[in-house]
Amino acid sequence: MSPTRILIRDELMGFAKSKVMLVMWVLLPLIAIAGYLVIPTDAILGGDTGPKLSATAFMGFLMSSLAGTVSALMVAVDIISEKNRKVYELFVIRPIRPDAIIWAKFVAVFTCVTIACVVSLTLGMTIDRIRGTQITGDMLYDAGKVVLALIGVIALSAGVGVLFGVLAKTILVAVILILYVGQNLAIIPMIPMYLGLLPRAFWIAMVISAVLTALLLWGSGRLFRRTEY
Amino acid sequence: MRSVADPLVRVVGLTKQYYGQSVLANVSFEIARGEVFGYIGPNGAGKTTTLKILAGLIRKFDGEVTVAGAHVLKDRAKAHALIGYLPQSAGFQNWRTVESALDTLGELSGVPADLRKRRIPELLERFGLSAARTKKVKELSGGMTQKVGLIQALLHEPELLVLDEPLEGLDPPGRRLLKDIIRERRHAGTTVLFSSHILSDVEDVADRVGILNAGKLATSGSLRELTASFGLPVEIDVELAVVPDPVPFASDRGVTVRGPNQWRVTVPDGGDADALIHSMIERTLAAGGKIRRIGTAEPDLDELFAQYILRPGAAA
Repeated sequence: MSPTRILIRDELMGFAKSKVMLVMWVLLPLIAIAGYLVIPTDAILGGDTGPKLSATAFMGFLMSSLAGTVSALMVAVDIISEKNRKVYELFVIRPIRPDAIIWAKFVAVFTCVTIACVVSLTLGMTIDRIRGTQITGDMLYDAGKVVLALIGVIALSAGVGVLFGVLAKTILVAVILILYVGQNLAIIPMIPMYLGLLPRAFWIAMVISAVLTALLLWGSGRLFRRTEY
Repeated sequence: MRSVADPLVRVVGLTKQYYGQSVLANVSFEIARGEVFGYIGPNGAGKTTTLKILAGLIRKFDGEVTVAGAHVLKDRAKAHALIGYLPQSAGFQNWRTVESALDTLGELSGVPADLRKRRIPELLERFGLSAARTKKVKELSGGMTQKVGLIQALLHEPELLVLDEPLEGLDPPGRRLLKDIIRERRHAGTTVLFSSHILSDVEDVADRVGILNAGKLATSGSLRELTASFGLPVEIDVELAVVPDPVPFASDRGVTVRGPNQWRVTVPDGGDADALIHSMIERTLAAGGKIRRIGTAEPDLDELFAQYILRPGAAA
């Protein structure tokens, strides 16, 4: 197995076993659904006569507001804490590409948070189904687009997290950078959608997310290779 | 710089500055294959920086550093495949168990799975960590973590072991074990470069030492060479089984009586201790005496270190 695959396998294992992922995969969806079920539907949207907010849409909103920040913070905090505990010295001295270490982190966080989003949306759809809503092809298409949009946000945010994780020396600095700079960067791909001027704005946003993420990872990799310990 | 036959490590004109402050200034030395080289010096002398450069952890420096002819930066992969490195404080990921950490690091070093399955339990057993196999590394004591760090450095049986303060935090049995392992590795042909503050331990295992002071290599060589080069007196201890009357060397210059049948002879700077020993043996035997023990009591590393580091102008 190549060193990069070994690192990705191990990082996936590490994140999957972490308490944060336990919260993201199990506790958060359960709390969100409990909240959705407890709050009266007319208090959420439109009153008695207005449209009702589905559990799927509720979970979609919740995850879109959380997934980006969580993935950026997770990856940045992990990189900085391992950097400060000199974990990477034992990896970098081995015959591997140093940047593979942070790419593995990116893939692990991206995968874990994406799974969390899929779990939440699936739970939302299940609740809607139980409550009598027919799942139509249109609904599945929309849910698919929500998942794709979330994947774009997660990838870009995790890329931002990797960059600030490599750059910052302390967790506090990284958190501040992510909250004040990273959040604004993550909005860039959405601009075509907000403006509504371009046809296929959704897909353009996806392409911009992919390109920006690739650039962030490439830049972070270069910086990480130059890091001295 | 003194050249050695068949050098594995070559450090030539190594210079490193941090923010305009010189940390290493034109440091040069060579380490022969299979040699154990002790690197000593006071705090802040630049020992760790040298070792990190050799391990490829510091990229910006002047000079040339090669391992088996491979430049530590330009031929990074080749050089790294030859090195086993223990940093001053080895860090492991929080979620890792001892076994998982060692398995991954071994795998990344290219150790095949079947070999890892055999070698990891063997080394854990040797270091008394078998019971901690499934524990998370973060739950271990400092000394135990240091042992895990040592195991990861030994796992792929590297040609060169670079150990930064390996004895730090180890209990006396742990220190003895490490010294035994260093001797074993030397016997197997491994080259060892290690830094330490515990000079008696360096003295026990090092073939040669390099004394670094204020970023400059004050000197390097075997203890005997350093003693000679600094002009420290050599002392000869002699114990006789049968004492002739008169004792033929008793009135020689620099002889002191240490007991009813024991003497010490101080050979001043420039004196030939080996020739004097030869002469003492001949004269004693000719006078009908019998020798139980005779040999040199050279200054220990503590004394040499003090001479090199504490003498006026040593840092310059």
